[in-house]
Amino acid sequence: MTRARERRGAPPPLDTVTEIETPEHVRFRYQLAGPARRMLAYVIDLLLRALIVTAILLTVAFTSDLLRSGFSRGATLLVVFAVEWGYYVLWESLWSGRTPGKRSMHLRVLKEGGYPTGFLDIALRNLLRAADFLPVAYSVGLVVMGLDPRFRRLGDMVAGTIVVVEDPRRIGHALTVSPPPTAAELAALPARLDLGADDLDAIALFLRRVGTLNPARERELADLVAPVYARRLGGLRYDDPARFLALVYLRATARGAA
Amino acid sequence: MRSPTQDDFVARRKPEWTALAEILALGRPLHRLPPATVSRFSALYRSVCADLVHARDVGHTPDLVRYLDGLAGGAHNLLYAAPPYRWGAAWELVARDFPRAVRRNGRFFAAGMALFFVPMLACAVATLVHPDFALQILTRDQLQGMADMYRDGFDGRPTSEDAGMAGFYVYNNVGIAFRCFATGVLLGLGSLFFLIFNGLTIGAVLGHVIASGHGHNILTFICTHGTFELTAIAIAGGAGLQMGHALVETRGRTRLGSLRAQGPDLAVIILGAAIMLTIAAVLEAFWSPSSAPPPLKWAASGACTLLLTVYFVRAGRVRAPRLLAGSGGLVPGGPRP
Repeated sequence: MTRARERRGAPPPLDTVTEIETPEHVRFRYQLAGPARRMLAYVIDLLLRALIVTAILLTVAFTSDLLRSGFSRGATLLVVFAVEWGYYVLWESLWSGRTPGKRSMHLRVLKEGGYPTGFLDIALRNLLRAADFLPVAYSVGLVVMGLDPRFRRLGDMVAGTIVVVEDPRRIGHALTVSPPPTAAELAALPARLDLGADDLDAIALFLRRVGTLNPARERELADLVAPVYARRLGGLRYDDPARFLALVYLRATARGAA
Repeated sequence: MRSPTQDDFVARRKPEWTALAEILALGRPLHRLPPATVSRFSALYRSVCADLVHARDVGHTPDLVRYLDGLAGGAHNLLYAAPPYRWGAAWELVARDFPRAVRRNGRFFAAGMALFFVPMLACAVATLVHPDFALQILTRDQLQGMADMYRDGFDGRPTSEDAGMAGFYVYNNVGIAFRCFATGVLLGLGSLFFLIFNGLTIGAVLGHVIASGHGHNILTFICTHGTFELTAIAIAGGAGLQMGHALVETRGRTRLGSLRAQGPDLAVIILGAAIMLTIAAVLEAFWSPSSAPPPLKWAASGACTLLLTVYFVRAGRVRAPRLLAGSGGLVPGGPRP
């Protein structure tokens, strides 16, 4: 028996996730990076660039007269030019879509289809920073990012790229209930639970935080959600909403339960 | 029939997932791995994709699905990675892609030239006729400064100073060209402004310096590098206009799609313009202020003009294959763009 994965006609949930279908018909979900993360990454890159230029200028200033000449002036200007226009192009093309600032925020530049970017795309999106920067401090870029559902600035739009958040995934430890469920509790739950993947996702997210929340907050959150599921699963009753959610989850995922 | 529980599934499939994760952890592009690893990788990728779809369908826990998502995503990026960078691509850009792209978008190039040179010539002529016209655009001090710069001829200067100026010209001119191009995305208005403003400014300076009697000096100075520099600015401005035009005339695509369709051509055009400006900067720093006699500089200017004309008209064209002699000559073997 298949379970309906999506209810047709319902509007998609408000989320910053973009879904990409590969030629193998596998759908990946990438979490899009919003203006806040990207601004932080930009600031880190800005500091790094300032550091590089300062280091170069200090080197030139403190070296001997031989170097403090037209050659060094020319070289300094070339370096400043390279740092202003070439920093991003260099990093993003050599480090598959990442710069030091982006890496520290776990961001990455990809083509819209989920593919890695090519050199021309990287060059184009970074050249258009001059337009995104107008009139001051990336105002145009931030406004455009805010209006676009995929958080693209003008450079991303012309080059067809997106910036995604990459988080390494690990299989988490198994979620358990302590004290272990009693036979009576398990008997109270239906054998098959009609919960979609999104529901399980949400419950799992809550259950993983149970250890880190204070009891009052935990109860408050569980009280918001447990009645919904109790009603949906056929009018079940419970004492402890958090424990109820954990039992429902364990039954739904059928991990070693009867 | 009960489907296998998640723990069984994980236990059975974990060795293959770990093997795939190890290949990804190598961090090397696929074409640098040994052939046996590459075929093993493709088999593992297919099976992990199947596992991911299965895990989603059966409804395994979200953290397992996310793990497989990440694993398959990383493998997907490795398999469909961008083609490796080649040095030959830079040569192809200059020899083939750039001239072709400029020809394909020739009308924007023409518009850029017109929007730059017409204001420039008009302003220069106006300044020659009414010397005070230049004051509409620049201040008296700025004009005086320019006239002073070209009062004397050029006797050459130390190479180190040349090198310093070369760096400055690259920093200044290529930056201006990039901004001229980039601001074109605002419906072409930014490029329009840059082209016209730079044309007027240069025209005012030219007119004023010529009117001051130093016309010979300034024209000899700019004649050689000007061919590269002014053409490149017009190209960059034309590319900006192309972006603006794509937003307005979309030909059945969305505005964004129309803009993105120009992307590959635009990147090639602006990179080619940057290369031209670098050449111009080197010429402007080392050749133009040198003590070479003016006739030689003018000859060099003519040679550059000829070179650029031939380059943009002929470079990158491919001859259509000639038919055999006995075929009646249906298709003349002429060049095609």
